[in-house]
Amino acid sequence: MPKPRTVALVAGAVLLARGALRRRVRVSPLWPLPALEEPTSGRPRSRALRLLVASHETVAEGVVRLRLEGRDLPRWEPGAHLDLVLPSGLVRQYSLCGDPGDTSSYTVATRLVEDGRGGSREVHEQLAEGMELEVRGPRNRFPLVEAESYVFVAGGIGITPLLPMLRALPDGADWRLLYAGRERASMPFLEEVVKLGGDRVTVVEGRPDLDALEVPAGAAVYCCGPEGLMAAVAERFPDVRLERFAPGAPAGGDFGFELELRRSGRTLTVPAGTTVLDAVREELPDTAYSCAQGFCGTCQQRVLEGEVDHRDELLTDAERRDSMLICVSRSRSDRLVLDM
Amino acid sequence: MSNTQARVPLKARKVSFSWDGTPLHWVPGDPFTTHTINVLHLLLPAGERWFVHVYKQVLPYIRDERLREDVIGFIGQEAMHSQAHDEVLPHLREQGLDPTPYTAQVDWFFEKLLGDRTLPPGRARRWWLMERVALIAAIEHYTAFLGDWVLNAEELDRRGADPTMLDLLRWHGAEEVEHRSVAFELFLHVDGSYRRRVRTWATAFTALVFLWQRGTRFFMENDPTLVDGKASLKDFHVRGRQGLLPSTGDMLRSVPRYLSRGYHPSQEGDTAQAVAYLAASPAATAAERRAA
Repeated sequence: MPKPRTVALVAGAVLLARGALRRRVRVSPLWPLPALEEPTSGRPRSRALRLLVASHETVAEGVVRLRLEGRDLPRWEPGAHLDLVLPSGLVRQYSLCGDPGDTSSYTVATRLVEDGRGGSREVHEQLAEGMELEVRGPRNRFPLVEAESYVFVAGGIGITPLLPMLRALPDGADWRLLYAGRERASMPFLEEVVKLGGDRVTVVEGRPDLDALEVPAGAAVYCCGPEGLMAAVAERFPDVRLERFAPGAPAGGDFGFELELRRSGRTLTVPAGTTVLDAVREELPDTAYSCAQGFCGTCQQRVLEGEVDHRDELLTDAERRDSMLICVSRSRSDRLVLDM
Repeated sequence: MSNTQARVPLKARKVSFSWDGTPLHWVPGDPFTTHTINVLHLLLPAGERWFVHVYKQVLPYIRDERLREDVIGFIGQEAMHSQAHDEVLPHLREQGLDPTPYTAQVDWFFEKLLGDRTLPPGRARRWWLMERVALIAAIEHYTAFLGDWVLNAEELDRRGADPTMLDLLRWHGAEEVEHRSVAFELFLHVDGSYRRRVRTWATAFTALVFLWQRGTRFFMENDPTLVDGKASLKDFHVRGRQGLLPSTGDMLRSVPRYLSRGYHPSQEGDTAQAVAYLAASPAATAAERRAA
């Protein structure tokens, strides 16, 4: 039998400890676990938003402008685009062409492509005011850089990502715009663009003469428009920044390229029609992957050199700077170096 | 050990949910049930990211092609679970219940405490990997238990719980039931030691109980609509009897099952029910259409 004195001492100590613990928890309820300084959870990469189609109007021949309303929408920067999940489940990307500071609505414009893959037809014919639409983004792969002067080349609906850039440039900025289209009636936002730029804007009906385009030294060249126009501009000005408004159908198609896996010291060729993942798995069969469709993120790898043609639906702009999902994304350059 | 249920090929579904219409107390008038289930959104984003992280490292140890395929499917499903629950957190924040103080700790728990450690390659590193594989198998016993429970929790429908939240929980639950054998089979394949199974079960169970009660109390105390919100074991027990939460008895009975030497996850849950739910779930069918 322990002595009563010992029992009383132990009981007293227990009570004191319990009291101290409770006070401690009351002061900081999350004691005693430490926390990660930069938490990873609760910052989803792309939030699905459900927006209301507030207006659906024709702004030029064959061009519909959508205004999508919501609350506390993420801000965006000129050049950004939005993923629209259409009622059929098709996902299409459209450049934002409204006011970047507006957190209650997004504006996009789309041209009806008669022989397209059905996305624009759905926007034109199936969407109506009052409907709800799921969107993801916004994301920017066509950012406005700082430069001494700017040259913009737009073809038809390709004006959409450029318009917010023109609005965002300071008043005295040195810029010029070549805006080409089949005919004036089918060129969206023509009036606003001319008002904005005055004689800095050259409007061309039909094929523009790129040789006549003056590009000062140190100018940043931006182009968005039909594939043919972008190819011609890229040939004339190799440093041009391009935005393809029909992603998924990349300009050069799937071309082959050389792939170096630096950590394992191997170099292989990824032929056209083969994914980077498949090529890598031939060499490194234990490479992790899962969905093989660019959404689960398992196959993300760090990119050391080369320019990536991102085709996934997951990575943020920041992540895209130095990594890629190898199951769907490819290379824009002849050579790509991965840290694996 | 008999696996009588048909094997389904596992694949990740690209689901997405919109939380705009979901109220703070998505089980109407019952913050305790809401927040007890909400703890999932606190634990799963970091937890399932950690599963993926560990399983990526275990791939080279798999010598069985069919198991490898299952693990690959499992990884994608877990990655999507993590993403889907992560998207609920900003919605909670918008409603005045900021989960960051808690999730930052869960992030620490999985990324630091249970993360990769600087160990010499060889035995030590392998030991830590196997320990984590066994922990995942034990946790998956509970996720399958909860998945089976939520698929059958009709009381939540009767109380008018938010349909989007129910779809998230049941899509997730159904995938957990669908892939419930993978983690355990992987553990048997790469290690399978009974002592490790008991040891990691005890760790996982203690950690789950600790984190869960803490999470429920965190939500109840910080809910902006509650004055002096409290959580007690009695609340839990009562809701268990009503069918709003898993019952205490069912939970206790699941313990000896996992510790039995003849345990196999195929004896728990119902694959056919899970597959049937996935075929009808709004989120899963939308994902199916998108993939087509």
